[in-house]
Amino acid sequence: MNLEFIHQYLPLYQEAAILTVQIGVLGILASILIGILCTMIHYFRVPVARQIAAAYVEISRNTPLLIQLFFIYYGLPKIGIRTNPYACGVAGLAFLGGSYMAETFRSGIDAVDKIQTESAASLGLSGLQALRYVIFPQALSISFPAFMANVIFLLKETSVFSAISLMDLMFTAKDLIGLYYQTTESLFLLVIFYLLILLPVSIVGSLIERRLRYAGFGS
Amino acid sequence: MKKYRKFTGILLTIAIALSLAACGSSGSAGSSGAAAPADAAAQDATAAAAGQEAETDAAPAQDTGAVFRTLDEITASGTINIGVFSDKNPFGYVDEFGEYQGYDVYFAERIGKDLGVEINYVSTEAANRVEYLETGKVDIILANFTVTAERAEKVDFALPYMNVALGVVSPDSRVIKDLSEIGADDQVIVISGTTAETYLSENNPEIRLQKYDTYANAKNALENGNAVAWANDNTEVIAFALQNPGYTVGIPTLGSQDTIAPAVSKGNETLLNWINDEIVALGSENFFHTAYEETLIDTYGADYEDSLVVEGGVTAQE
Repeated sequence: MNLEFIHQYLPLYQEAAILTVQIGVLGILASILIGILCTMIHYFRVPVARQIAAAYVEISRNTPLLIQLFFIYYGLPKIGIRTNPYACGVAGLAFLGGSYMAETFRSGIDAVDKIQTESAASLGLSGLQALRYVIFPQALSISFPAFMANVIFLLKETSVFSAISLMDLMFTAKDLIGLYYQTTESLFLLVIFYLLILLPVSIVGSLIERRLRYAGFGS
Repeated sequence: MKKYRKFTGILLTIAIALSLAACGSSGSAGSSGAAAPADAAAQDATAAAAGQEAETDAAPAQDTGAVFRTLDEITASGTINIGVFSDKNPFGYVDEFGEYQGYDVYFAERIGKDLGVEINYVSTEAANRVEYLETGKVDIILANFTVTAERAEKVDFALPYMNVALGVVSPDSRVIKDLSEIGADDQVIVISGTTAETYLSENNPEIRLQKYDTYANAKNALENGNAVAWANDNTEVIAFALQNPGYTVGIPTLGSQDTIAPAVSKGNETLLNWINDEIVALGSENFFHTAYEETLIDTYGADYEDSLVVEGGVTAQE
C-alpha cells in the first residue's frame, strides 16, 4: 500500500465524494417529490394522470439508469435540448428514483387495512383528514424500511455516472488506475469513501425505522 | 446488550469491507474494476459452501499463483485471449456483421493463425488495458496501446508496429490550432486512461478535462458540442475528422512521437519472445504495410502509410 499515493489523491476523492453526495441528495429529494406526486395521483384516482403515472413507473423501473442517462445526455441534445452533466445526473437519478419511491409509498398506503379508512369515515373524518391522521402515519411506518433501501440503492447507483463524464467516486478510482496503475490504493480509497457515505445513512435509517415502528396491532 | 450487539454489527461491516479491499489487492490475483473483490468473495463463499467441487470451477488460472499463461499453455489450450477495442474504428471495432475488424485485429488474426489457435477477442476500454494483463484476463493486449514508461513498469511491451503522437480535433466553427486558444471556461474531451489524458494533466494542468470511459461516448459528446475539442491519439482524431465532415484536426501532433506495440503480462517471456520473433519475421513480407492497405487506407489514404506503419519492429526515427 503506497501511503504517499493515498495522501496525494485523497483530495480528489473528497471532491468526488462531495459530488456524489450532492447529486445523490438532490436526486433523492426530487425522486421523493415525484414519488409523492405519483402516489397522490394514484390515491385520488385522478383520470388520465393516473395512466400517465403508471406508464412512467413502468418505463422508469424497467430500464437501467445507464440507459436513462444515455438518453438524457446523448439523446436529448440531438433534438436541441442541451444539458450539463450535473443536471443530467440529477435528472437521471430523479427519473429512476421517482418510480421506486412511488411504488414504495403506494404499497405503504395499500398495506393499511381497509377497515382503517372505514373506521375513519364512520368517526366522521373527511377523506383528507383520514389520509392525514389515519392512513399517512401508518403508511409512513410501513414503507419506511423500503424507503431507506431506496435511498441507499440510489446513492449507489451514482456509480454509473462515469458514462456522462461526471467525476464521481467510481470514475475517479477508475481514472486514477488508468493514469497511474495504482490499483490497490485506488480501490481501497473507493471502498472507504463509499462506506463513509453509506454507513451513516444506513445507521440513521435503522434508528428512525425503530422509532417509526408503531403501525398495526401487536407487531 | 442490544446496543452492544448493534455496535459489533457495524464493526463487522467495516471489517468485511476492509478485507474485501485487501482481497482485491493481494498480489497477483489483482482485480478488474470494483466488481472483482465482490467476485472473489462470492467465489470464496461458494467454495466454502459447496466444498472442493466449487473451488475447481472458480478462478481458473488465478489460484495457481501465476497470472499469465505461457506460450505452451496457450497452444495447449487451443485458444488465445486477445484484448482489443470494440469501438475504435479503424483499429479495433466490431463491424455490422458482429465481427472484429481493424488494423490491430488484422495482426491479431495473423497471430492466431501462426500460433495455430482459436482467438477469443475480449473487448477492452482504454483504462482497463493494464489491469486486463495484470489479472490474466487476456494473454495479449492489441488495443492501440502506446508504449510509455509508466505502462512499461506494469506490463511488457513487444516490438512496435505503429507510430503515434497526440492530436486535437475541434469543430470547423472554432478550430483550435494551439492549446493556448483553449479558454478557462472551455473543456477538452479526453478518454480516461489514454496518453492524451496523462499528457494534458501533466503538461497543461490548467486545461479543464471532460473525461469519458469509452470512445463511443467521447465521440458522441463532441458531436453534441459538450466541449470545444477532443484530444487523443492523432491517428484517432485524424480518422474522426475524415469520417465526420465539420471537424478539423487543428493540432496534428502534440507531445512526443510514440509507438504502439502489443503488450503481455509482466514476465511472460515465452509469449513476448514469440511475438517479437513474429514481428521481425513478418517484416520480411511487409505484413504491416499489407495490413495498412487492408484496413487503414480507406480512412487515411496512401499518404500516411509510411509515417504510421512500423515494419519489423524497426522505427525510422531515433
